[in-house]
Amino acid sequence: MAAVLEQSDGANATVAGEYLTFRLGQEEYGIDILKVQEIRGYEQPTRIAHAPSFLKGVVNLRGTIVPIVDMRLKFNCAQAEYNSFTVVIILHLRARIVGIVVDSVSDVLQLQADQIRPAPEVETSVDANCIVGLGALSERMLILLDIERLMSGVDMGLVAA
Amino acid sequence: MHSILAVDDSPSMRKMVSFTLTGAGYNVVEAVDGQDAYEKAQTQAIDLVLADQNMPRLDGLGLTRKLRENPKFKTVPILILTTESSDQMKQAGRSAGATGWLVKPFDPVRLIEVIQKVIR
Amino acid sequence: MAEHTQEAAGGGADFDLSQFYEIFFEEAGENLDQMEQMLVGLDLSQADDEALNGIFRCAHSIKGGAATFGFRDVTELTHHMESLLDKLRRHEITPVPQMVDVLLESADASRSLLARHQNGGQGEVPPTAGLVQRIAELAAGNVPAAVAPAPVAAPAPAPAPAPVVAAAPPAEPLPPGVRRLTIHIGPLPQPELADALQDLFRDIPGLGTMTPLESAQTDRRSYDVTTSSSNEDLLDLFVFHVAKELVDIREEAAAPAEDPLAAEEARAAALDQAAAQGRPATPPVAESESYGFFHEPAALAPAAAAPARAAAPAPAAAAGAASQSSLEATSIRVAVSKVDQIINLVGELVITQAMLAQNSRALEPALHQQLFAGLADLDRNTRDLQESVMSIRMIPMSFVFNRFPRMLRDLANKLGKKVDFVTQGEATELDKGLVEKITDPLTHLVRNSCDHGIEMPADRLAAGKPEHGTITLAASHQGGSIVIEVRDDGKGLSREKILSKARERGLNVSDSMPDSEVWQLIFAPGFSTAEVVTDVSGRGVGMDVVKRNIAALGGTVDIDSDFGRGMKVSVRLPLTLAIMDGMSVRVGDEVYILPLSAVVESFQVQDDAVSTVAQGAQLVKVRDEFMPVIELERLFQVPPSVDNGGSGIMVVVESEGSRAALLVSELLGQHQVVVKNLESNYRKVANVSGATILGDGKVALILDIGALVRRTRH
Repeated sequence: MAAVLEQSDGANATVAGEYLTFRLGQEEYGIDILKVQEIRGYEQPTRIAHAPSFLKGVVNLRGTIVPIVDMRLKFNCAQAEYNSFTVVIILHLRARIVGIVVDSVSDVLQLQADQIRPAPEVETSVDANCIVGLGALSERMLILLDIERLMSGVDMGLVAA
Repeated sequence: MHSILAVDDSPSMRKMVSFTLTGAGYNVVEAVDGQDAYEKAQTQAIDLVLADQNMPRLDGLGLTRKLRENPKFKTVPILILTTESSDQMKQAGRSAGATGWLVKPFDPVRLIEVIQKVIR
Repeated sequence: MAEHTQEAAGGGADFDLSQFYEIFFEEAGENLDQMEQMLVGLDLSQADDEALNGIFRCAHSIKGGAATFGFRDVTELTHHMESLLDKLRRHEITPVPQMVDVLLESADASRSLLARHQNGGQGEVPPTAGLVQRIAELAAGNVPAAVAPAPVAAPAPAPAPAPVVAAAPPAEPLPPGVRRLTIHIGPLPQPELADALQDLFRDIPGLGTMTPLESAQTDRRSYDVTTSSSNEDLLDLFVFHVAKELVDIREEAAAPAEDPLAAEEARAAALDQAAAQGRPATPPVAESESYGFFHEPAALAPAAAAPARAAAPAPAAAAGAASQSSLEATSIRVAVSKVDQIINLVGELVITQAMLAQNSRALEPALHQQLFAGLADLDRNTRDLQESVMSIRMIPMSFVFNRFPRMLRDLANKLGKKVDFVTQGEATELDKGLVEKITDPLTHLVRNSCDHGIEMPADRLAAGKPEHGTITLAASHQGGSIVIEVRDDGKGLSREKILSKARERGLNVSDSMPDSEVWQLIFAPGFSTAEVVTDVSGRGVGMDVVKRNIAALGGTVDIDSDFGRGMKVSVRLPLTLAIMDGMSVRVGDEVYILPLSAVVESFQVQDDAVSTVAQGAQLVKVRDEFMPVIELERLFQVPPSVDNGGSGIMVVVESEGSRAALLVSELLGQHQVVVKNLESNYRKVANVSGATILGDGKVALILDIGALVRRTRH
């Protein structure tokens, strides 16, 4: 079942559904599984001059040119290594296909409405508008993201200012 | 199964005639004008020629004359589609050697009736 | 589909003719295009028989199809057009400009009628009565504003009717809404003309029936008519052949008119009934025979001796039409999406083939002879395939040019100017996608030339110029671009006017600005130096939009003007090729691609040939020319290479007439590249026109030479 995101002004709707979870630094995040096209290893992208540092460049994905954004750099996580364990999530969004580099991918979870709480007013590296809620599952706490909104923000460098 | 050579420079007319005749069980060979029709007649077995009169390059009567000059096509039935049924047209059709004529616009049902009178 | 009252011709319930409508609409559209073209190109002083026959055939063809598929309004209008054209081609009347005008307008009206049918009958019905009237008058030899003999205006006193009525045929029960009439026509100098009215009843399905009656007087004709049309409608229809006051309509027993739909159904029922009983159904054909055979004795209709007319149109007809039909015989229609799909697939094939070539480089040729031979074949086949496929989407500029003669004719007429239109390079090909987007900007430029460039005939004569102005549209390939020029011999641009207007608007200008820059000012939004704003152009919203549209296509616009003599606007567009020839170069450790068409030459850097000028810019001397140097490593912030050997290579590139030298580390090779879009998933990157995938699967950026060169010119 897809995670249907309904955004009403101000309040973040809590939505049940299937989420892909991944780690970035100390935090664990979840995104709508339907936005995920595939998961790949990291390959050196072709650099694009004057792009922000977290935009590593573009790669060839079976004939399509796809930009790669390193979320670890964007959100100032401690270490950003590139090795055989580095993982790229290829997202199929409304406006584009884009790959994001994360530390690791965990699993796909089904979250019920009662497992999702609204996000507190806390300073997070991710813009609060892009946080749909907090998912709680046994010991884990997942920050659920509106990945469409996040990636189309001007600060992500994918959209011409 | 009989083969009919349908000749008309208008694509919509050609398609309509072709559809009508195929639906009635005939095999249809299409040509866009008299010249094209004459060339196609050389290489395909034709049981009846259905030709529009008004066509560029070689019109219906011209095609009729040309076919009749060739011993191979002395007896193939030729029907001319014409917008006028005047005496003059009939005269010209007869002297060119046409078998008969049909006035346009025509009812598809009538077309089949007329053809069935010729090819049994 | 309540709108389509398709009676008669398509009547049979088994046959759904609507599946052929689309083909007919397209075909009619093409016939109308051709008719229009030939009409505009007609030389009235010595009208070409071939052309007249060709125009006639177009109208005839449309009429035939419209009648077959039941579009009655189109049948009626084209019937009148055809009648006028028939007279013209038989030289019974002389061609005059008013005839061309009314035929062009009628063609437009036909288009509207057809479009309306295509849209399911929505909207208002375009009026055609006025056109029909004008056609009739012109056919009768009454040219408006000429010395006209008794004009066909107010009805003359009612003619004494010839009350000779032969016994009417046994009255069959009439369906509701259908009337039986006796129509007397005369006195006529040539009574046979009235026989043509029977053609109308035969050609127009559902109009009714018209059977000739015995008439005692030789200069009159009488007919027994059944129809559901009103007397006024009939008179309108007849007006082409006979003047209204010569027609006397007498009504006999009329069935009470019910609602039209019921009348239709009743009529159809009567038809079915008649057919079922083996009786000859009265509609749709008024003639006694709708088909016949020469073997049986044919019943000859007692017609008056038809006036000797010219022989039937010669079979050896227009060669122009011949080439069209042979073209038609050997071409097929393909959806654009299918072509695009093929182009994409061929693109993938090129990449795969490049990868194979790349990966096989590690192999020893001697050991793998067959493999290498196969790869060489593959390379050649792929190249050939790609060329063929790309050419499918290329269509000649004539498709763009075609609309202009008619448009200019109407525009010049409206403005009272005399303009000749010349085209060059119609065969120059460009990508189909570009054609649609270039037409609007070009239209604006041509209208501009006509409106603001070409002067009024009197002014031209006063200036010692020929009365007729000339506007030229020329297309050619130059380098990797297509160049389209709009030239006129009008009054050109006034430097002073433009500068003063610019100052008025607060733009920063100086009197010492070179001409080329002054002309570019007219691209500023809202800029217009026209004294009087016509509704054609001159609202000042034009030129900046033109420039923007062309820039969006990756092109440029330049202006050249000679005050008093004329003006030239040059539009330059890149030929959008999904696959192009590229030169790959190494800059630091990165690979970049240059479009081969922009590369002039390359050479080793000699330090003494490079000089540094103000602000750190560098120039290099190439033979006698100095050109700016662009250090790609610096421009693209390329990390310094591990291997720092060599002073580098200069690659001279050219764009829009200017040159620059790119400094690279090494030339890697030339090969075909598939151009991929960066903007689909990313965004526009400065100085980069796209990306490609190399043989090793990596992405390389393709440089935008135009942008790079423009940078150096500031």
